[in-house]
Amino acid sequence: MSASEAIDITAAQAQPDSKTRRYDRQLRLWAASGQSALENSRLLVISGSATSTSVLKNLVLPGVGHFTVLDPATVSQRDAGNNFFLEGESSIGKSRAQEAVRLLAELNDGVEGKADTSSLEHILDTNPGYLASYTLVIAHNLDPKLLERLSTLLWTDDTLPMLVVVNSAGFLGEFFIQFHEHTIIESHSETAPSLRIDKAFPALYEYAASLDFTSMDPTDHSHVPYVVILVRALADWKAAHGGNVPQTTAEKKLFKEGVQAMKIKFDEENFDEAEAQAYRCWTETRVPSDIAALFQDPQLSTLGPTSPPFFHLLDALWKFTLEPPHTLPLSSTLPDMKANTTSYIHLQKLYKTRAEEEKAIFKAFLTVPIDDALIDSFVKNAHGLKVLRGKKWGALDADPASLAAAAAASPKATATHLALSALAAVGSPKPSAEALTAAAQALLPPGVELPDEFSDAVGEIARAPSADLPNTAAFLGGLVAQEVIKMITKQYVPIDSYCVVDLVETWTGMV
Amino acid sequence: MTTADWQDRYYDIDQVLNTPGPRTDPAFLAGDGVKDFLRNQAKILVIGAGGLGCEILANLALTGFKDIHVIDMDTIDISNLNRQFLFRQKDVGQPKATVAAEFIMKRVPGVKVTPYFGKIQDKDDDYYLQFNLVICGLDSVEARRWMSATLVNLVDPENPESLKPLIDGGTEGFKGQARVILPTITSCYECSLDMLNKPTAFPICTIANTPRLPEHCIEWASVLEWPRVQGDKKMDTDDPEHIGWLYTVAAARAKEFNIEGVTWSLTQGVVKNIIPAIASTNAIIAASCCNEAFKIATSSAAYLNNYFMLIGTEGVYSYTFEHEKRDDCPVCGGESLELSISSAFTVEQLIELLVEKQDVQIKKPSLSTPTSQIYLQAPPQLEQATRPNLSKKVQELVPEGGEVTVTSTSLPFSLSLRISYK
Repeated sequence: MSASEAIDITAAQAQPDSKTRRYDRQLRLWAASGQSALENSRLLVISGSATSTSVLKNLVLPGVGHFTVLDPATVSQRDAGNNFFLEGESSIGKSRAQEAVRLLAELNDGVEGKADTSSLEHILDTNPGYLASYTLVIAHNLDPKLLERLSTLLWTDDTLPMLVVVNSAGFLGEFFIQFHEHTIIESHSETAPSLRIDKAFPALYEYAASLDFTSMDPTDHSHVPYVVILVRALADWKAAHGGNVPQTTAEKKLFKEGVQAMKIKFDEENFDEAEAQAYRCWTETRVPSDIAALFQDPQLSTLGPTSPPFFHLLDALWKFTLEPPHTLPLSSTLPDMKANTTSYIHLQKLYKTRAEEEKAIFKAFLTVPIDDALIDSFVKNAHGLKVLRGKKWGALDADPASLAAAAAASPKATATHLALSALAAVGSPKPSAEALTAAAQALLPPGVELPDEFSDAVGEIARAPSADLPNTAAFLGGLVAQEVIKMITKQYVPIDSYCVVDLVETWTGMV
Repeated sequence: MTTADWQDRYYDIDQVLNTPGPRTDPAFLAGDGVKDFLRNQAKILVIGAGGLGCEILANLALTGFKDIHVIDMDTIDISNLNRQFLFRQKDVGQPKATVAAEFIMKRVPGVKVTPYFGKIQDKDDDYYLQFNLVICGLDSVEARRWMSATLVNLVDPENPESLKPLIDGGTEGFKGQARVILPTITSCYECSLDMLNKPTAFPICTIANTPRLPEHCIEWASVLEWPRVQGDKKMDTDDPEHIGWLYTVAAARAKEFNIEGVTWSLTQGVVKNIIPAIASTNAIIAASCCNEAFKIATSSAAYLNNYFMLIGTEGVYSYTFEHEKRDDCPVCGGESLELSISSAFTVEQLIELLVEKQDVQIKKPSLSTPTSQIYLQAPPQLEQATRPNLSKKVQELVPEGGEVTVTSTSLPFSLSLRISYK
């Protein structure tokens, strides 16, 4: 809503509705677009364990559309003791899925919950199509053979749901997201886009050149935005130095002194800001290397009418950057700086107008029709675009050389991952440390030793091989939910490998 | 209370209480003793029944703490319901501590939760001495500083029982931190004050004369226009009518200056200083806090030494490190803080410096030397008597190397400064 529209409506009309008020603290993170993606998502969670319900709690509260708990088990005495979404002794003997769904659904009227008491094995045998209606499947401590079947099935086609695999025992845990490709426009990158002071667009250049600093009113002089000061100072410098920007340390120092010398009073903060930002004059604005790397994406070489809109946009961006000034389209976002209202708003208008012009140039490179709102968002966030390519679950453990490399690069996290993999491989309810060590060793190439940290990890697994501890469940529940939110909203950047957790020393790591 | 412990109730937790792990302290006494302490003797205090507090209470109850106390001064708002999962629509307006305590006792049989609907400052040392552990899940820096300083002051070297471990959690959006404070032994909350993000403050001249951002227009409405138009009427940022008034006034000013972007949501965000908050981040940080409480209470595993920081915006990034104690920490350091100021500095300027300095941040400080009062904020008679000193140079009142004691009614400690002149 623009300011002029806002002013015409009364405060009462501007007041948010009760749903917006309920979700206020999260809408500030992912806005209405993210919320709508959440509300259109459908989750399948396999088992009603303490960890599973902990994950679900954090997704029901922010308002996913639908969730199903798939679990044929009845509530045991131990379940009743460690799961907050069961009602103690009174739940014992009842369906775990039904009890969990009943208590989870209470958290948010806007979410649809369903309990399914069939077994995953039965579904895989008789009705694998069942899975296709979901956005994402989450499985906690699933039997390794079923997990293998499930992950293989979901990997066959990239229209099938993503799979989040969560494993835990005692103080240790890990999780992994199986996905083919994940593109992100709104990464919420913390790097600011370039103001292009070194490659000032014509209207900015002309404005800076038109100012007469010497005859200016002293109050106005102390409110010229630093961007304008630098564009002008750089133009003057280049005119006196054969068109070159300051290059040597001595020249840079001289340039900064020149900026300081433009002051007419010692306390003009705008010139201090200009001096502090002077590096922008000799740091050439180019396409950031991580964005340039995206132009090599295989999707671009096979671009066709059925390619996802993201890659059409990326292709247009690539073509845009091949033309001068060889940068990303200008961002209309101007940071705050020392200035008076008129000079700031004028500068803001210059940036906005130019950003619109460059967006029009960008649009001309598009070869398929794309929604304007998506184009706006893409251009605005061009400096933070991401393309992630995932792996099939289990690919790492099937590749001894990669495991050995991971063990060398991050021994602590890999040791914990190996210990958890060994627990799944041994398949006994009370495995010995020796059996677990042998199973872990078998995953590594011959002659490669387990990391020193392995004994710490395997000792914890042997100590509590089947413990779904409430704190570990809650910790994993939070981490997994954060990543699921990032996958569904396509905002922020999710993990693309195993995230490993050790709650003895309290650390997380990536393998 | 053990009657509620049906067979295998703690089957999962007992796996780590029956056996030590490779990194467990040899002093850990596996088995019935530790279970009895956890379930029948330990008494734990939770500060805050909000986003973190709800999670903390649930985790503590499930892990076997049965005597839990909780303090919170707030009532439930609709915007809490996206994460404070012990509350429902029907509870809006009720005290958080009471509703949370009732919910936990109903859901987890045999756990006693004692709520207190009020301020932490209402309670005295004897109250805090009754607990084995304190967990803070707060969003207020002031309250954390008070709690941390109070627990440091409580430590009596003659009495080991007087040392109460403090576990502190905090979140903002996808980020958060959890830490373990052993008062007087590890770094305390005050030691890490300089790690806080500086609050965004807009200079009053920008707000009054040269607004550029929608935030400047909102500040103008709330800081300048509200008192001018509404007189002594107190602004209530939870009252939609008040927010509506601020929004209308700010939007009108924005229009006058051609500034875009004043919305209801931004108005509310600026005047209430709203921090984004989600269930998942609170779950991670609360779990980490409760896990430390569990490990400290049982010795079943080493506890965090001493700071865990999580950033979930880009992948899962975390950093676990030992935050170091500050020797010149006004709460636990014992040494005075060296402060070098210009010889032209007035008392008023020194006070401004103390308010703003990252590692001090004392609101409304009162200043004195060992022999005289420099400036006292209260009572009114003394304020009036010492007011003339505000415009004096510090050098006229404090010799080179002299000590200045700084106190504030909001904090239960005094800061000792050693002044030198540039």
